[in-house]
Amino acid sequence: MKTASASASAEAAEASVRAGGSTRWGRLWKNRWLYVLLAPGLLYFLIFKYVPMWGVLLAFQNFSPFHGFWKSEWVGFEHFRVFFTNPEFFMLLRNSLILSFYNLIFFFPAPIILALLLNEVRVALFKRTIQTLVYVPHFISMVIVASLTYVFLTTEGGLVNELLDRYFGFKISFLTDPAWFRPIIILQTIWKECGFGTIIFLAALASVDVEQYEAAIIDGANRWQQMWHITLPAIRSTIVILLILRMGDVLDNGFEQIYLMLNPLNREVAEVFDTYVYFMGITQGAFSYSTAVGLFKSVVGIILVTLANWTAKKFGQSGIY
Amino acid sequence: MRQAKRWAAILTALMLAVSLLSACGGGKANDPGSGGDAGGSGESRESRTETGESNAGTGGDAKAPEPEPPMEISIMLPIFKTNYPSDDSPVVQEINKRANVKLHFEWVPNSSYTDKFNITLASGKLPTIIYVPDVKNPNFVNAVRAGAFWEVGEKMKNYPYLSQANPVIMQNSSIDGKNYGVYRGRALGRNGINYRKDWLENLGLEPPKTIDDFYNMLKAFKEQDPDGNGKDDTYGMVLVKWTGQWASGFDIIKLWFGAPNKWGVVDGKLVPEHETPEYLEALRFMKKLYDEGLINQDFAVFDSAKWNDPVVNGQAGVIVDVTDNAARLDDAIHRMLAEQGKDQPDVHFVDNMIGVVGDHGLRALPTSGFAGLLAIPKSSVKTEEELDRVLAFLDKMNEPEMQTLANFGIEGVHYTVEDGYAVRISDTVKLESEVEGLNQMLPFIPEDQGLKVKQTPLRIKTEELQKEAEQYVVPNPAEPFISTVYSQKGQQLDNIINDARIKYIVGQIGEEELLKAFETWRRSGGDDLVKEMNELYAAANR
Amino acid sequence: MRHYRTIPGTIFDICNCLFLGLFALAAVLPFIYVFAGSFASDTELTRRAFFLVPERFTTAAYEYIFSTDTIVRSIGVSIYVTTVGTLINLFFTVTMAYALSKRHLAGRNFVLNLVVFSMLFGGGMIPTYLVVRELHLLDTYWALMLPGAISAFNLIIVKNFFQEIPAELEDAAKIDGCHDLALLWRIVLPLSMPVLATFTLFYAVGHWNNYYSALLYINEPSKWPLQVILRQIVMLSQMAAGDLNAMDPNFEKPPDQSIKLAVIVVGTIPILIVYPFLQKHFAKGVLLGSVKG
Repeated sequence: MKTASASASAEAAEASVRAGGSTRWGRLWKNRWLYVLLAPGLLYFLIFKYVPMWGVLLAFQNFSPFHGFWKSEWVGFEHFRVFFTNPEFFMLLRNSLILSFYNLIFFFPAPIILALLLNEVRVALFKRTIQTLVYVPHFISMVIVASLTYVFLTTEGGLVNELLDRYFGFKISFLTDPAWFRPIIILQTIWKECGFGTIIFLAALASVDVEQYEAAIIDGANRWQQMWHITLPAIRSTIVILLILRMGDVLDNGFEQIYLMLNPLNREVAEVFDTYVYFMGITQGAFSYSTAVGLFKSVVGIILVTLANWTAKKFGQSGIY
Repeated sequence: MRQAKRWAAILTALMLAVSLLSACGGGKANDPGSGGDAGGSGESRESRTETGESNAGTGGDAKAPEPEPPMEISIMLPIFKTNYPSDDSPVVQEINKRANVKLHFEWVPNSSYTDKFNITLASGKLPTIIYVPDVKNPNFVNAVRAGAFWEVGEKMKNYPYLSQANPVIMQNSSIDGKNYGVYRGRALGRNGINYRKDWLENLGLEPPKTIDDFYNMLKAFKEQDPDGNGKDDTYGMVLVKWTGQWASGFDIIKLWFGAPNKWGVVDGKLVPEHETPEYLEALRFMKKLYDEGLINQDFAVFDSAKWNDPVVNGQAGVIVDVTDNAARLDDAIHRMLAEQGKDQPDVHFVDNMIGVVGDHGLRALPTSGFAGLLAIPKSSVKTEEELDRVLAFLDKMNEPEMQTLANFGIEGVHYTVEDGYAVRISDTVKLESEVEGLNQMLPFIPEDQGLKVKQTPLRIKTEELQKEAEQYVVPNPAEPFISTVYSQKGQQLDNIINDARIKYIVGQIGEEELLKAFETWRRSGGDDLVKEMNELYAAANR
Repeated sequence: MRHYRTIPGTIFDICNCLFLGLFALAAVLPFIYVFAGSFASDTELTRRAFFLVPERFTTAAYEYIFSTDTIVRSIGVSIYVTTVGTLINLFFTVTMAYALSKRHLAGRNFVLNLVVFSMLFGGGMIPTYLVVRELHLLDTYWALMLPGAISAFNLIIVKNFFQEIPAELEDAAKIDGCHDLALLWRIVLPLSMPVLATFTLFYAVGHWNNYYSALLYINEPSKWPLQVILRQIVMLSQMAAGDLNAMDPNFEKPPDQSIKLAVIVVGTIPILIVYPFLQKHFAKGVLLGSVKG
């Protein structure tokens, strides 16, 4: 059974052989088709990602769309100063991180588990039906989700509270109590994105060599052992890469969902960088400010991604590279 | 075999090259091709005027000896529906004919208008007339200060209609004391109380006159089963979570207690509203209403899109909001009853009033009196003569016939006249693709003098009410000021006050903590704000 | 293959199916509400907060939607952009991912760093807009398809999938005289069908749901894709009554709630249908027997 790292090192060893020839030009020529394949994508990144990269500098200006880049005044680190000395900064940081953390712990495993469960289903029709049904919520607009959340959870006639009141005699202010905000967000996310998230794992599971299962059965492995020793390792590299990439988004919390569920009573746990920047943008029309905050997020993201990648390598996984 | 693969590779590369080239080519083909600048069809079209003033069709003014070619005008406007009138709709053609212009509309879904506005500013490709939703938008202000837009305040005095502009509104829509666009007029005295008349009558009550009457009305609505269905399922007033700039119910109610509108003047200085004792009194009143269950208990999360529903559904009896909402509520109730077969078409279920009286007399919350500006960029209108022609067009659109045209369409085609009122045809799709939305470009200066929709007694009353309310409005003395402190910290400061007052009302915090929050406001920049506003105030009143 | 019964196994199966069934039901219930609501009258929607079957069935909302060109045309635009756009995505992504999956390629790490960096740092809305404008792509469909041609995230994952393909397969082909292009086309791609199906789906959904690009780059209303219209309708009904200040003083009422739901149905069903068609590519056993020993 080959693991990713085994094949990686084997390939590396043969790399110089494949690369062929002693001269650098010889190698380039040998791989010319690969470069041809590389060209379109590379061009894309250069044109659409790197040419506009100067936009990052907006963070150091007081950008006015009318004046344009060259004529807007430069303010250095002013925006960052305002941002970091904002008394709410730590609240925003805390909220963003905690939400992301919850998301990582509770939401990230959910599609994996769901994919594994689906994998165990033997009746193809049932499996396909369930697969299609669970991926529907991804397409329902967040606005509807928020609206239905209200219908179910409000204290005034909401279904859940009506039941609670009738059978247990009390109501819970789900929507205004700060303590419920994070759980509700996570539950919404799981409901909405779990099904869609299984797709990538199902694809990985589909690539598993069926013969391995047969061999395992012959060796007497039960279903649990099959899953542990064959299924999980097969999707392990996918899990790892998704985890690493997820690190880059740690300060992103999904603006629309939070904005819809935010209200003055839960603001102290609900307000995150994304909503903060949005509201600043309204009063300021501030491209520069939001670019500055975005830059901050990017820097944090890249540090975490690099760290995560390095950690993964230490454990013998292939990481991004 | 290998040959075939090689050809496949060459073909792929060729395809790629072709696709990139055609991207450029396709783009160019779509480009209207007016000289000089790059860009898509978002450009404005220049016009070449021959002589100075134009005022085709109204007669009486100095006319140019030969008729001028129609001026090409492009306008960027928000669209509130999904269908929009195209440039060749018959109504547009008619407007073109009468005003001697050639209109091109750039419709933008209003939900994304601000984004599009910012991008348009950045692109440098502005239309002849652009609607500016928020005159205080810093991007707009910066552009104005950089000279991007024509100052029109002075020029407006030269035109028959535009010169009748309301000076208060002109001031409200000014930047640094000058006007950089024609404001789109809206009723000033729009806010008041909407209530269910039938409930009042069922309970044998009179419309409230004082705050105490108002309180008693709400109490009665809650406790005395006003809809007579034997169930304890009604309450007084419905409030929503959105406490934005226009009427949150509370902002209207606070005035009854004598609190100022955002800023008050005490001893010649500006004082923020929440630092007045009357504001606190109003807050206590709201808390009382909440504690006694006279307001929906989940108002802090109640979606503003559903604001009308509880009244239509028979759960609540009062909405404190714009008074023209009464007609809408009434229609909705009629529709609901009609579906159940219980309608009484001639009865009005909803009524409205300006407000109730406390110790300070009748006080009403004004709107700013306008809904955005129609600004004219210097980059697309290059000479003063062209500016004059554009202003003449905007002026002409204030003529009653033109207002009717843009509001309703062509008589006989889109509406018929009954008893002097316009009755729209029922083909909403036709209306939407030919007419609806055109009225976005109307400045309504001095007011809407066109045909009106069939006036029910309620609508007639509403109009009179709104006019009457103008005497009682309490203006915000700081309305025209643009504050740098506010643009940096405004959102935060507002949040401190807003969160505190809502928490106080629902009982999450007590009065002590409320006052502490006001202190925090001061410390977090409120101090600077008050100082700055007072400087601006002093300068303006010198 | 794995079929052999045990009691715990069967219990597990039953519980599993029950759980999955319930989860699927919870997932689809709100959509049933949206679907049912689109066939209900507005007053009913005001009266009943949540229901699964309308009391009175009416197709008024759909009649309204399909009576003009606007929505129908925007659906056409969306279909066009999604189809062609996804093909473009696949072309760019697969070629680059395959090239980058070869560890021995000189310059590979440099390019990968470029990609990862661009994933986290970006110029933002205005510079990208200016690039699109300079390329004369404004108001064209290309503006909806090219600026998002590759998602760095997708690229990295596809690349990783390619790296997983056993080297022996490629070696065997090379010995037979295949060069890289042929290798990609005849061997690697057929083996990667699940991956390709997945990312076809991801890109297609991305295109279908994208309104922001159209908002920025398209001025011509006839070129608006469906999501622009949909968002407009949904946002419109979110407006508070006070916002009406900005609108027509004669304005009567916001769009019917039922129209909002109907547009959502129309906007969702086409893309929902795509998935079952791609599902057959998630079948197992693709690698069966390809590597011996």
